[in-house]
Amino acid sequence: MMAGKRISTIKVISIVVSLFLALFILVQIICVVTHTTFPALITSITSKEMQFAIELSLITSVASTILCIIISIPSAYALARYDFFGKNLISTMLDAPLALPPLVAGVGLLILFGTTSFGKALAEVGIVFVFTPLGIIIAQFFVNVPFMFRIMRGTFQGINPRYEHVAKTLGCTDAKAFWRVTLPLAKNGLLAGSIITWSKGIGEFGGALMVAGATRMKTETLPISLYLNMSCGELDLAIAAATILILISLGSLFIFERYGGFARVF
Amino acid sequence: MEDLPGYFNMIRIENISKNLGEFFLNDVTLDIEKGEYFVVLGPTGAGKTILLEAIAGIYSPDRGKILMDGRDITNIPPRSRNISMVYQDYMLFPHLTVEKNISFGLKLKKITTKEIKKKIDGISRMLNVRHLFHRFPGTLSGGEKQRIAIARAVVTEPKALLLDEPLSALDAQTREGLRYELKKIHSVTGITIIHVTHNFEEVFSLGDSVAVMNEGKIIQVGNPDDVFRRPNCEFIANFVGVENLFKGRSTVNNGTSDITINGIKIVSTACNSGDSVVSIRPEDILVSGNKIESSARNSFSGKITDVIDKGAIIKIVADCGIPISAIITRRSFDDMGLSRGMSAYFTFKASDVHFI
Repeated sequence: MMAGKRISTIKVISIVVSLFLALFILVQIICVVTHTTFPALITSITSKEMQFAIELSLITSVASTILCIIISIPSAYALARYDFFGKNLISTMLDAPLALPPLVAGVGLLILFGTTSFGKALAEVGIVFVFTPLGIIIAQFFVNVPFMFRIMRGTFQGINPRYEHVAKTLGCTDAKAFWRVTLPLAKNGLLAGSIITWSKGIGEFGGALMVAGATRMKTETLPISLYLNMSCGELDLAIAAATILILISLGSLFIFERYGGFARVF
Repeated sequence: MEDLPGYFNMIRIENISKNLGEFFLNDVTLDIEKGEYFVVLGPTGAGKTILLEAIAGIYSPDRGKILMDGRDITNIPPRSRNISMVYQDYMLFPHLTVEKNISFGLKLKKITTKEIKKKIDGISRMLNVRHLFHRFPGTLSGGEKQRIAIARAVVTEPKALLLDEPLSALDAQTREGLRYELKKIHSVTGITIIHVTHNFEEVFSLGDSVAVMNEGKIIQVGNPDDVFRRPNCEFIANFVGVENLFKGRSTVNNGTSDITINGIKIVSTACNSGDSVVSIRPEDILVSGNKIESSARNSFSGKITDVIDKGAIIKIVADCGIPISAIITRRSFDDMGLSRGMSAYFTFKASDVHFI
């Protein structure tokens, strides 16, 4: 009888704290999306500037995600499957951008592409990163590639190499075994990794700001647009950019959770 | 060899060594004949799986070479060896249906769809997995998975089939059924099979030859009966379950040996002097209520200390100064009315006492 009525203080406190945290997050989101009226939001979203920002964000984030996939798959596979000299060092270096503030990463990229002879040589053949959309892509890539890499490494580590061994005894070359067995088995990890990389790419600000700058209608992605419009008092446009970013983030989170859960089935 | 022109061992493994850290092979040499059912017996961690993987070409050895049909295949990739391998944990591709799993190897070859269909139908009928074609591996039982893994390996008509503990993960009944299927596959296709196990029963029921392996080394090769009855070292004797294993001092007299163990003298027809270990198979010991006159040179009386019921057979352990185990049938056990605490005689021939 006593046990049934007894209230556990730790239970109450922990639940209340989690409730407050959830409320705090919800209130923030509501604050942003209700700051302006719906018609004003629509007007802003359909404005030329916002259309440009949406388009640039989509293009740069998709491009940087593809770049992340192309680079992460082989490097994650190498670190998951093989033992080689300097493996630990390489692994640490690949994780480093994760700990680096994006602004610092941006400064590094700016110096590399803006001042070194390597950067100048690239600029001479027409590959210009500084103050161009290309700079946004490289910044997004640099800041987000560790996420893709880590998810893919974990995915490959979770796939028994014996699947490939069997495939090879059945007639596959190394490449065919990877393509026909390992990659299909890594599908869910690849999807989850792409979604999170893409959504982080859309939101990337600090690194892109340093390399590509914040030029209206030139390097104006959604977060840059939010920053520019906020600082010059164009609140409706700023809110529109923020609202779109919120929708993208929540949507990606939903897909990630769904397929992250899926990935555990295999 | 001279009277058999063109004769060679199907697979010859010459002084293979491979170090994978935790697991390793140390100077392994084996000859496997065409069409042979060859069993490799050894405890967990003996290096049995790496041995199969080296034969399949997954790992190239640090030293030594592998020959197939007289050709050096040490450095050719797995796909060109035409050797199939079945792992203990099946390794069916989870993203493919049963049908696509079985046809995986055939689709990599230049053969027509019609021919592929004919081949997978044939093997599926033989292994009775036709009804599972549209299922995914995740939904199958262990026995079904193993049969499909075997079908996938055999359907490509390999020169040799490597089986890594194929029966270990299955329950007793399924294991019995699959053991029969393995026998059938072997006799129908005539394929060379190398089967790795830690279970001695499989050696007896399936193997034409057996190699015992421990710590990366081959320690005895022969036909199963020989290895079982005349283990060449204490490790094998312990591993294959020889119960009557005694340490004593042996002296040779007139072509036989007298081994003194704990004050008891055992006679053996084999000759060995000095400190020795001898073994007597429990089923070679005759149990009787009274002393019997016979040609057998060893007969001891002792009190029964333990009766272990193993179903159709009964194991009796008696204290004759040394602990002697004997295996008799349930019928004899019942007829003699034996029980714990009773005295009985234990008799065995000098030729059944083996030095190891």
